[in-house]
Amino acid sequence: MMGDLDRDHPRGCRGSHRRAFLSDLGMGFTGLALGAMLHRDGVARASEGVWAPPDGFPHFPAKAKSVIWLFMNGGVSHLETFDHKPELNKYAGKSINETPYKGTQDPKKLSLARVVVVNDANGQQRNKLYPLQVGFKKYGQSGIEVSDWLPHLGGCVDDLAIVRSMYTTDDNHGAQTQFHSGRHMLDGEFPNLGAWIHYGLGSLNDNLPQYISMGSREYWNKKDGHYLGPAHDAVPVRVDPANPLDYGRPELEVAEAEQRLGFALVNRLDRIRAVEYPDDPALAARIKAYELAFRMQKSLPEVLDFRSETEETKRLYGLDNPVTQPCGMQMLAARRLVERGVRFVQIQDGAGGAGVWDAHGALRANHSQNCLRIDKPIAGLLQDLKRRGLLDETLVVFGTEFGRTPGTQGSDGRDHHIYGFSVWMAGGGIKGGTVHGATDEIGFHAEEHRHYVTDIHATIMHLLGLDSRKLEIPGRKRLDIDHGQPIREILA
Amino acid sequence: MRSYLGVVTILVSVLATGQALADDRVDYLRQVKPILTARCYACHGALQKKGGLRADTAAALREGGESGPAVVAGEIEESELLSRVTAPGSERMPPPSDGEALKANEIALLKRWVEQGADAPSDEKPEADPRDHWAFRAPVRPEVPPLSETAKTAILKGSVGNPIDAFLAVEWEKRGLKPQPRADKGLLLRRVYLDLIGVPPTDQEREAFEADQAPDAYEKVADRLLASKQYGERWGRHWMDVWRYSDWWGLGADLRNSQKHIWHWRDWIIESLNADKGYDQMVREMLAADELYPNDLDKLRATGFLARHYFKFNRNTWLEETVEHTGKAFLGLTLNCAKCHDHKYDPISQQDYYRFRAFFEPYQVRTDEVPGEVDFEKDGLPRVFDCNLEAPTYCFVRGNESQPIKDRPLKPGLPPLLALGELKIEPVSLPPEASLPGLRPFVLENHLRGADAKIVEAKAALEKAKAKLAEVERPSTTAPASDAGSQLAETLIHDDFASPQPDTWEMVSGQWRYQDGKLLQEHGDEMRYTLRSKRTPPSDFEATLRFTLTGGEPWRSVGLCFDVAGGREVLVYLSAYAGGPKLQLAYEQGAGYVYPPEGARGWNVRVGETYAMTVRVRGTLVNVAVNGEHALAYRLPFARNAGALTVITYAASAAFSGFELKSLPSGFTLVDAANGGPPGPSLVERAKAELALAEKSLAAASVQPDLIRARAAADRARSQQPPDTKAKELAIIAARREREAAVAKAEEDLTRAELALLKADAPHKEAERGKRDTAKTALATAKKALESPGEEYTPLRGSLKSVESNVETEASRTKPYPTTSTGRRSALASWITDRRHPLTARVAINHIWVRHFGKPLVPTIFDLGRKGTPPTHAALLDWLAVELVERQWSMKHLHRLIVTSEAYRRTSASTGADPATLTADPENRWYWRMNPVRMEAQVVRDSLLQLAGVLDPKMGGPPLPAAEEASPRRSLYFTHSHNEHQKFLNIFDDASVLECYRRSESIVPVQALALSNSRFSLTMAAKISTRLHDRLGNASDAEFARSAFLTILDIAPSPEEQAACEQTLADLTALLKTNGAADPVRRARNNLVQALLNHNDFITIR
Repeated sequence: MMGDLDRDHPRGCRGSHRRAFLSDLGMGFTGLALGAMLHRDGVARASEGVWAPPDGFPHFPAKAKSVIWLFMNGGVSHLETFDHKPELNKYAGKSINETPYKGTQDPKKLSLARVVVVNDANGQQRNKLYPLQVGFKKYGQSGIEVSDWLPHLGGCVDDLAIVRSMYTTDDNHGAQTQFHSGRHMLDGEFPNLGAWIHYGLGSLNDNLPQYISMGSREYWNKKDGHYLGPAHDAVPVRVDPANPLDYGRPELEVAEAEQRLGFALVNRLDRIRAVEYPDDPALAARIKAYELAFRMQKSLPEVLDFRSETEETKRLYGLDNPVTQPCGMQMLAARRLVERGVRFVQIQDGAGGAGVWDAHGALRANHSQNCLRIDKPIAGLLQDLKRRGLLDETLVVFGTEFGRTPGTQGSDGRDHHIYGFSVWMAGGGIKGGTVHGATDEIGFHAEEHRHYVTDIHATIMHLLGLDSRKLEIPGRKRLDIDHGQPIREILA
Repeated sequence: MRSYLGVVTILVSVLATGQALADDRVDYLRQVKPILTARCYACHGALQKKGGLRADTAAALREGGESGPAVVAGEIEESELLSRVTAPGSERMPPPSDGEALKANEIALLKRWVEQGADAPSDEKPEADPRDHWAFRAPVRPEVPPLSETAKTAILKGSVGNPIDAFLAVEWEKRGLKPQPRADKGLLLRRVYLDLIGVPPTDQEREAFEADQAPDAYEKVADRLLASKQYGERWGRHWMDVWRYSDWWGLGADLRNSQKHIWHWRDWIIESLNADKGYDQMVREMLAADELYPNDLDKLRATGFLARHYFKFNRNTWLEETVEHTGKAFLGLTLNCAKCHDHKYDPISQQDYYRFRAFFEPYQVRTDEVPGEVDFEKDGLPRVFDCNLEAPTYCFVRGNESQPIKDRPLKPGLPPLLALGELKIEPVSLPPEASLPGLRPFVLENHLRGADAKIVEAKAALEKAKAKLAEVERPSTTAPASDAGSQLAETLIHDDFASPQPDTWEMVSGQWRYQDGKLLQEHGDEMRYTLRSKRTPPSDFEATLRFTLTGGEPWRSVGLCFDVAGGREVLVYLSAYAGGPKLQLAYEQGAGYVYPPEGARGWNVRVGETYAMTVRVRGTLVNVAVNGEHALAYRLPFARNAGALTVITYAASAAFSGFELKSLPSGFTLVDAANGGPPGPSLVERAKAELALAEKSLAAASVQPDLIRARAAADRARSQQPPDTKAKELAIIAARREREAAVAKAEEDLTRAELALLKADAPHKEAERGKRDTAKTALATAKKALESPGEEYTPLRGSLKSVESNVETEASRTKPYPTTSTGRRSALASWITDRRHPLTARVAINHIWVRHFGKPLVPTIFDLGRKGTPPTHAALLDWLAVELVERQWSMKHLHRLIVTSEAYRRTSASTGADPATLTADPENRWYWRMNPVRMEAQVVRDSLLQLAGVLDPKMGGPPLPAAEEASPRRSLYFTHSHNEHQKFLNIFDDASVLECYRRSESIVPVQALALSNSRFSLTMAAKISTRLHDRLGNASDAEFARSAFLTILDIAPSPEEQAACEQTLADLTALLKTNGAADPVRRARNNLVQALLNHNDFITIR
């Protein structure tokens, strides 16, 4: 009860103070990026009672170490994937008001939407019910229904916890940002989940960036750290061992041995200088950053080089088929990254417009093709993690900004739908073979166990052993809804 | 008193487990008061006394409020405080809207404190009156503190002239701190260069400074730098951070945020700083130049500050940001906290928030023409103006724009505690040019110039059309004169290959022989064999070749080449290739053979069959018929050159039975390549229609200058006060000109529609006919309008309003601009810049200070309110604030004062520091040494360019595309928006355009990668190295290393550093020799330079 008012009132204060002033408390001067690292090395000091950045350790025992965050750009129809609603076929072509479900049109319920783009052609209610474009089958021991477009993921259903009762409030693609950060676009810009985790948890492998992003992020969500600072932005990585990241290797020809001598000199000179400036935390941090950089530039290409993988593994991810290969390469890269201790791998699936899943028209062609692209690779990832014993410590999350309308847009599409959609999680600490929450009979409103997007964040934080309230920055007000509540019903 | 017994009971049982602790005494000051301060004071303290209750002393709690005592010692059930913190729903304190409930352990503490008798010190002071908050009282210039003789001699070394040093020294004396000595001369020079102009000194400048023994050598440098144009660029970027400079962004080409050409504001910032315009004047211009200087385009650029807040989709968000950042940037106030509820810390009510918003409610953004450009996409001046003078402002319930309190519209106003006397808002009556920018003389010139350019264009098009018609009407060059224009073809060659015709053919390659009335080519190998016609065909011709394909492998191609000359040709052939028999047109124009897909057509060509292939060519259009059936239409994508005609085979053997060459008469209709369908209009017909259009276009363009002049004259007459007596007459003329121009335009449109109809292929004919008919009707309407032109005409606007939202119509977008402005923003500006204002000058000083010393005097840089942190040196801050105001708000004066202080000149090193000082103040809170600062992104990049000697001094202008990483321009000129960042700069914590009151200074590995791996950095390193070589001549490694150190770091290397550099040079040279590099010594030295650029002290301002 206590948080309910906050939840209905997400227009919170934009926090009055920035972290910049913390810099004058003796911490944070160097940016919070290396705060935890320096702290562990005993370089940084925090006076008693004075705010200090996180020390890089979980707040309580963790169930998982890493997160693979799969985000489908554009909005996946829950109705054609994980939330089977046969009533749509029964009432196909009827206006919702002619069906027993006219109650879904209660203006009070619809007022959930916070409109950014007034009078936009999209993001409207579509009232003529559109039949399901695909059949469903029961899979696994749990007998959970999954659409016929996702047979491989169906085969993994006993590892999935599907939350069918998600909702959000931005009825346009700003909901992409909202799904990542928890805040509506009109409230300003907030750090996203990966940035919080990067900020809160120390490194598992000092040779690799701890927050990596792959795929297309052309729409709204170009930054991650926001008020935590750019040090907590994801490092964009390409699945290309020859050129995995910007400035990842000399852009003009420099031999490795030559560069090593140069790096060694930088290190030497910085250390000589440190004698004169013994209390300069920035200097200490920069020495460390150069060491990391040199190692990172060597490690990353190795991680993204798949030559050591067996043919069987490559097939498992669909690398042998041009349709599944692009997604498969990202999934295999994700496994290799978490295997080496990267904390947070964020993958945005599908470029173009507002995202490839944005099926305002020709939904059948769009979703059948997109499902085909991702079904085998993602299932391959789950199977591979499992057989390597990595699934127990890795959280895989499948999300999207919103679902799609039960009604039809044009003759053969579905519009954005914020009132009910599906997300699934699998892996460390998750109870597989679970369905949690439900939408109404036509998949319109999340009815049972409603969850706002930050409940997914809270669940992940909880499994990583983080208390989001302990990560707060003084002067930055976060609402109850920003923290969310862990979805305990899907925890193992 | 309402009590929640049930809840309390549950609470007590929950807390029973903690009973063991209950015997411990609760410490009110340490354990209870912090909870009350954090969670209760805002509503129950000095600022507000909700429900009549104050919670800022234990005594006040006992006294209670309207519902009785909040605390009754020892009585849990009687203590309202305890029941309210655990109450459900909206009864709970703090209310759910103010955040979460108290935590269980906090509630337990409160309860135990009450149980134990609610003790508190008897001398407990209530919370201070907000009016007494330091920053809400106007600064009074404090006395410069008198210093002891010891301080003067020992600490300041006799330099007591600078009050900054005196104020700092007082604190050292109090604390027994000993300051560090001056920095090394080279490092100091580098520091002041980077701070004031954003690039390091050159070698010559450093050497000159080192050599200058004059006592004011340093002061001279400071003065020179402050006079440099680069000062404006360096500090302009700082203020662009604070004022949220952003180039426009949106989705694709759709403008959604900020404004196109907002760079005019950036240039205004730079120019104003260089001119040392007063800070107050800058603020006035940014907020209200349109009211204060309505006709001064240079000053109007300043309102970019407000134009930048533009947001297409949500006016509420737009104004929220305007209020928030006006408050933070100029006042150090978090007004935004009062959007949903009264401010929790400062005396700003929710009503005050919306009254503040009302200052901005009427404003919108428009782009005015600038001299020389009429296209607003290319250039223009984005500026604000009061557009909707009557726009009401309402308070929104809980900040929710869908819940305005409409029965209580709010007037602009200030928080009473901060108001300085009565606010006078006087409407401003604008000069005519401000509301009708078309009256500006250059607008007329712009449009006339534009119209003249169109006329020139139209004339050129007309000439072209005439030439084109002449060309297509010209008969084939070889046709007899008498045939000109005739529809008869002249036969030029007719050969049935019954016998040799040596006058007609030349056998160029292959074995050709006549047999059985046929000409045979019998070699089917993969070669090309050629038979050349001795007669060059006319430019428009028809050629027919008859042959039987007899064999060959694998291509089996037989064809005709024309325009054969100098390696260029066009070839048309039939191929019986087993992989796909076809008809193909291909060509060679000096860049390899091209087989355009449009020139290919699958055709069932078989060995043993006989074919008649006819090629018709007119201009660039080629038609091919096979056995009399139209098979291909193709337009050559290049101008033709005359050349020979040949018959060829390629990997084919064939028997030729006939050849005919004719001129192609102009009347013969070819199939157009665009459609390949039924015959289109003849070229002549089309050229005639094109010519007609060109004539009409010229006619329409020609009437424009008169129309523009007539509009301008009528505008001028009408805008005079009182209106010119001729105003009506001139309006009638303008109206007539406008109708005439409309007729000319309608005629042009109709001609264009007729041309489109002529060109349309069958499926589109109907649609084009419809359009033509519409154009006819439009012309009739225009002619009708000309019969009674009236006196309505379109004024010369010279300006375009940005849409107020995505649903704004064109009609409201072009409604006339108001002739008055509300005067609200100029009233606001005069309040903010009032000499008595307690906040403005302090905020400005704090911004300047932090950018010199790396640390602000008030740590909470945009919050000087009660939640903020008090200044470390309050007296110094106030002294500087008053100094700023009294020196006409001159920022250059402040910079000079700061950089010539001893404090600024100290070393940032702590070696040799007094151990007691180090222990007492390790974080340098009291400025006993200088703070090292990480270079801002722009300084990193600009310094590289400067050291490499390639920095382009060009100032101002449109932003550089972010992708032009190698540009030698200063980095502040890159496009900088929420969506577009220059990659290299972004890595070094470039400013966020959403809010950047202070840059982050992160240290992350990708920065190391950018500096060591980027093409930019590697290129600059090589250039710096080359410059060193050029200067040093034949230097040893030792000399080179020492000079590189000096050039890049402005300090000589220590022996240890020198040795490390030399060793690395030796190692690198050896390595590169082994690798066989060209010039290993040079390359090793490039590497050394590259390493020094990666030195911590390169990107650090020491």
